[in-house]
Amino acid sequence: MSEPATVLEPLRPTVQPAVLAPLALHYEVEQFLYLEAALLDEWRFREWLELMSDDISYVLLTNTQAQTRDRRRSKQPPLTYIFNESKFQLERRVARLETGMAWSEEPPSRTRHFVSNLRVLEYDDEHVETSCNYLIHRASKQRDIFTFVGTRHDALRRVEGGAGWQVYSRELALDEFVLQAPNLSILF
Amino acid sequence: MDDRLNVRTMVDAKKGKIKPAIYTDPDIYQLELERVFARSWLFLAHESMIPKAGDFFTTYMGEDPIVVVRQKDGSIEAFLNQCRHRGMRLCHADGGNTKAFTCAYHGWAYGLDGGLTSVPLEEQAYRNKLDKSRWGLTRVPRVSTYKGLVFGNWDNEAPDLETYMGDIAWYLDGFLDRRDGGTEVLGGVHKWVIECNWKFAAEQFCSDQYHAPYTHASAIQVLQASPANKGDGKPLGDGQTPRPVWADALGGVQFGGNGHGSAFFFTEKPDANVWVDGVVSAYFRDTYAEAEARLGKVRALRLAGHNTMFPTLSWLNGTQTLRVWHPRGPNQIEVWAFCICDRDAPVEVKDALIKSHARAFGPAGFLEQDDSENWVEVQKVLQGHMARKTDFCVQMGLGFEERRDDGIPGVTNYTFAETAARGFYQHWADMMSAESWEEINALSAAYQKELVHE
Ligand code: FES
Ligand SMILES: [Fe+2]
Repeated sequence: MSEPATVLEPLRPTVQPAVLAPLALHYEVEQFLYLEAALLDEWRFREWLELMSDDISYVLLTNTQAQTRDRRRSKQPPLTYIFNESKFQLERRVARLETGMAWSEEPPSRTRHFVSNLRVLEYDDEHVETSCNYLIHRASKQRDIFTFVGTRHDALRRVEGGAGWQVYSRELALDEFVLQAPNLSILF
Repeated sequence: MDDRLNVRTMVDAKKGKIKPAIYTDPDIYQLELERVFARSWLFLAHESMIPKAGDFFTTYMGEDPIVVVRQKDGSIEAFLNQCRHRGMRLCHADGGNTKAFTCAYHGWAYGLDGGLTSVPLEEQAYRNKLDKSRWGLTRVPRVSTYKGLVFGNWDNEAPDLETYMGDIAWYLDGFLDRRDGGTEVLGGVHKWVIECNWKFAAEQFCSDQYHAPYTHASAIQVLQASPANKGDGKPLGDGQTPRPVWADALGGVQFGGNGHGSAFFFTEKPDANVWVDGVVSAYFRDTYAEAEARLGKVRALRLAGHNTMFPTLSWLNGTQTLRVWHPRGPNQIEVWAFCICDRDAPVEVKDALIKSHARAFGPAGFLEQDDSENWVEVQKVLQGHMARKTDFCVQMGLGFEERRDDGIPGVTNYTFAETAARGFYQHWADMMSAESWEEINALSAAYQKELVHE
C-alpha cells in the first residue's frame, strides 16, 4: 500500500498577543538573541551550541510559488527540508567546521546576523515564544557576498546559569524561491 | 559534420585532454542549447508529481521554460511556457492544478491540451478573423516516460527514449525499480544557483568517484565511526555503516557509454553510505530480498554510487537524490534536486528519508556544500586567458577500458577512472559537431569500439 508522507506546512502567521510582554522581559529576550547572533559571527560555535537546548528542533523549509487559485484554497506546491536538525546534528555541523576541511567554509566566511522586528508572542514564567525577521550577510572567499533574508519563530526556555535562556525550537523561513547561494554552509 | 566552433580540437578523449574554453565560451554555450539541449532527452518531472488531470509542474529544457501537464485522458503533455501572442511567460507557479492557463499580459487563455481557447475581444479587436487553431502553445513533440520519470525531446529525429538511454537504463533501474509499485517524489524541490558551467556538475556525477574522499573529507570525518566521534568507536547512528563504502576496498565499476556514466563499489551488505542511518538504513536491509529478486545481487546491493544520464540528469543511490543541472549561461547553473522514494515504503520511512536526503545533499547537505564550492572556484579561475588555454587532465585509467562477462553492461573500468568523463566529453563533442542523429550514433559507436578494441 502506498502511504503519503507527511505534508510539510509553511511557517504559520503570527498573532498579536492581547497583552504586551513586560518591557524587562522583552529586553532580556532581545539581548539573548543578540548574544546568540554575536557568538555565530565570532565563530564561537561551541558557546553557541550551549544556547541550544538538548531537545531543540531547528527547521528551515523551502519556499514555493503557488497560483492565486491554489493560494486562496491554502494549497501550494510541496515543500521540503533545507535544515531539519537536532542538537546532535547541529553539533556535527559545528564539528565539520572545526575539521579545517569543510571547504565551503575554508577559509571561513565572515557573517553578520541581524535580528529585527522582534515580538514576544507568548510567555509564561518559564517560556517565551518570539517572532523576528533576520538578515544574514555572508562574505566568503575573495569576493563572494551572499545575503539571506527571512523570518523565524523561536521558542526559548528559562534555564539556570549560562545565558539564562536556551532555544528549544527555531522555525525558519527564507524568502528566496531559488536560492542564490551555492550552499548554505553557515548556521542561521 | 559541421564543427563550426572547432570543439573537436578542444576535446581529445583518446589522449585524455580538454581545453577549458568549452566551459566558458558564450558561442559554444549558444550552440549547446541548440545541438545538445534541443536534441537530447531531458528530464521533465516524475509522474507522481502530477497525478490528477489538470495537475501541472513548471520546469525548463535548457533555458526554455516548460509546463508539464497531466491531461484529462491521463497522458502527459509538455509545452513551452510562453504565450503565443507576445511571448509572455504563461504560468508563474511552480506547480498546481488548473483548468486553463491564462496569460497575465492580454488574457489569452489555453486549455490543458495547449489549444488556444479564448482571446479577449475576439469579435471587436480581431473581427473574428483570428484562426485560434493555429495559435496553440508550442508542444514538446516527444514526451516519453521511463519507470515514472517523464522526459521530453524537441528533436523528431532523435532515437526513442530507451534507445537513447542504452546501458544507463540498467543502472537507473537499480534506483527506480527496487520494489513493486515503483517510486515517487517526496516533498518539494531544492532549487539553487551555482556559478559554474553545467558540464562540471554533470561530469562529476557521471564519472568522478575520485573526488569523494578528499572533497567530502570533513563530512566523512565527523560522520564516521571513530573514537574521536564516539568514545567506543561505534557508528554514530542506528544501522549506519562505520565508514564510506569505498573504504572497504572490494573493488568497483565505472560505466561510460553514449555520454552517460555511472560508478559504484561492490559491497557485501545492503548498506547505503555512512551518512544514511536509522529508519532509512533499516528499510534498505528489510527490503533487500525483494530488490534482489527484481534486480539481482549486484544492483540490489548497490546503495551508493553516482550517475549521470547525458546531458544533465544525475542521481545518487541510497541517499535517493535525483537532480537536473539546468544551464543558465556558460557560467551558471540552477540545480533542481528531488528526493526519490519507493512508493510502497511505509510512511515512517518516507518521513525519515526526506530528512536524511536534505541532511546529506541539497544546499545545506553535509556533503553537497563542498561540491559546489569546487565548481565555483574552477569557473572563477577560468576567467583568466591563460587558464582557459591550459589543458585539463582526463587520463585516469586511460586504456584500461573493458567489457565484463558478469552481466554488468557497457564499457567499464575500475570505479576510480575517467572513462565516463572521456565518454561524456566525446559524446558532447559529437553532438556539437554532428548534423544528424545518424552521424552522432555512428561517431558514438566508432568511439566505443575503439575503446575496447573490438
Ligand atoms: S502576451 Fe499573452 S496575451 Fe498578449
Ligand atoms: Fe561530491
